[in-house]
Amino acid sequence: MRSLLKACLTASASLMILSAPVAMAQDAPSGSLEKWDPNYEPPRMPDGTPSFDGVWSKASLTVLERTPQFDGLEISPAVATAIESGREKAMEASNRPSDPNAGAPKAGDDPGGYNTFWMDPGTKFGVVNGEIRSSWIVEPADGKIPYSEAGQAEMEASRKAMRETFDDPEVRSAGERCTVGFGSTGAPPMLNVLYNNHLQFFQSPEVVSILVEMNHNARMVRMGEGFRENAMHQWLGDSVGKWDGDTLVVTTTNFHPHNSIRTAIRHTVYLQPDSVVEERFTRVSDDTILYEFTVTDPDLFTQPWKGELPLWKTDGPIYEYACHEGNHALPGILAGARRKEADAAKSASSGSK
Amino acid sequence: MKSLVTACAAIALLAGCTVAQSAITTSEAATAEKFDLNGVWKVSSDAYYDLEGHAAKPAMQTIEGPYGPVPDRRVLALGAIGAVPANESVVSTGTIPYTPEALEMREDNAKNWITKDPNIKCYQPGVPRATYMPFPFRIIMNEEQGQMLIAYEYAGAVRNVFLGDDPGEAPLDSWMGQSWGYWDGDSFVIEVKYQNGETWLDRAGNYLPYGAEVVERYTPIDANHVRYTATVTEPETFTEPFTISLILYRQIEEDAQILDFNCVAFVEELLHGQLRKKPLQEPIK
Repeated sequence: MRSLLKACLTASASLMILSAPVAMAQDAPSGSLEKWDPNYEPPRMPDGTPSFDGVWSKASLTVLERTPQFDGLEISPAVATAIESGREKAMEASNRPSDPNAGAPKAGDDPGGYNTFWMDPGTKFGVVNGEIRSSWIVEPADGKIPYSEAGQAEMEASRKAMRETFDDPEVRSAGERCTVGFGSTGAPPMLNVLYNNHLQFFQSPEVVSILVEMNHNARMVRMGEGFRENAMHQWLGDSVGKWDGDTLVVTTTNFHPHNSIRTAIRHTVYLQPDSVVEERFTRVSDDTILYEFTVTDPDLFTQPWKGELPLWKTDGPIYEYACHEGNHALPGILAGARRKEADAAKSASSGSK
Repeated sequence: MKSLVTACAAIALLAGCTVAQSAITTSEAATAEKFDLNGVWKVSSDAYYDLEGHAAKPAMQTIEGPYGPVPDRRVLALGAIGAVPANESVVSTGTIPYTPEALEMREDNAKNWITKDPNIKCYQPGVPRATYMPFPFRIIMNEEQGQMLIAYEYAGAVRNVFLGDDPGEAPLDSWMGQSWGYWDGDSFVIEVKYQNGETWLDRAGNYLPYGAEVVERYTPIDANHVRYTATVTEPETFTEPFTISLILYRQIEEDAQILDFNCVAFVEELLHGQLRKKPLQEPIK
């Protein structure tokens, strides 16, 4: 089933404005309610380091920041089951075939974007060591990104510019431009978005590569190295790694300035090129990697903020996500803005006569 | 099985293998100590301009002048930097054995290079073109884990190479195709199928048609040099299989890495510049 979904997404990967944040049942749950075995022995690479071999998913109903419906980090199984069941029914309803006799929408109406068939955000809440989680953020305790006043203003200004400005391609989101995946799905902290949530590790003693499905980005983590000069901005940042016991520790900075505002339907993250993200990958069971991250930037945040999420093993390969090659959306968005301006000018001109 | 026979037939024409030799399994390969392909590699050849032998010329896009071709105005400002260096043919058959109809397509591609070459728009390059572009690529390979990634600096293109059993039919065609790798003696062979037919082989208009099968062989010469061959088979376009042959050089600099070349952003002015609210320059005609 996933192959068909990915096949279609890959074949027509141009991005559109998404208007229906409804789950699509596609994959397995995010984890069992059993505690992880603290003595779990991971499979190992020839050099003795833990193997992260396989394709992993971060699709989940859990989101980065806690929403008002939850008053704490942990969700009870009963509440989680009720919400998951409700989402499933909503998905089924939303995924019914459209009415072929409905006719075209009225001129000027929003025709909508993908229907839920194309979406794969996960069907279950994330489970971390037996706890069902309402948010990935565990520090601060309120589950919110601790923007400073200045950081909040900068984030909002950048998001407003991206949402409301159509003057140039560069101001549009990374997802619309197909420069990298949207919503921080590829750059650290790697977050779950509406679809294409898969990643795969390729390991060698010198380099650990993290291949993210969207947009076929292979982040190269240089083991035991230092950062490059900060002029060497990379779209997913400059990543260096080391082993802390059986945990892979990756530190990343020097993000491309065009990848500062990272928006998805369910979250917005704003980082600066010199923000620092530390990631920790620990294999805790055959089918789960604990992915921890800490984001530090005193210019933007009142404190470092930390997240935890499970990466869960899934079957099947990652297919090519060829976004740019089929990107009809970006020229459409720009052309639409030019048309709107021309219509407004024409209207103003006729009105003044 | 058909794919294996087809692939081996192509290899056999040029490398002298037999079907039995090509059918080496990973379990057999695992018993021998194999060459370590891990690392950063790059060609040292100008064949990416034109796989066929060619003299130097003033530009990739030219118009007829009174005494020979001169640069087209669209590349005129590049001067000597836009000129094309000479290169011997790297094709086994000297020239690529197109059918007459396919040759017409190649000539039309060449004539309209600046608007038709998919690389100009930063589209993923396909295989084998990705190998011999003037950009490095990294191979990460762990056979015990069944892992093999080839990550190209150009456009961030990647290939996730299947190891082990034949993965069978791909669920869809793609820009970089489906790759299946295995050892054949000292050579690592990758069969590449299901590319989408939208990619070219070089800047001279040579192209990879839909349905083409590419069999790559990575054969070590010494620790830092690999003979790379890519045999291309597609009988409706080519009258016979042909093989591209180049040397891969391991990048032995201590800090050899692949870096971002996210050209998607670089071509926005070309593709969308005239859709800016205030276009920065006159459109190219």
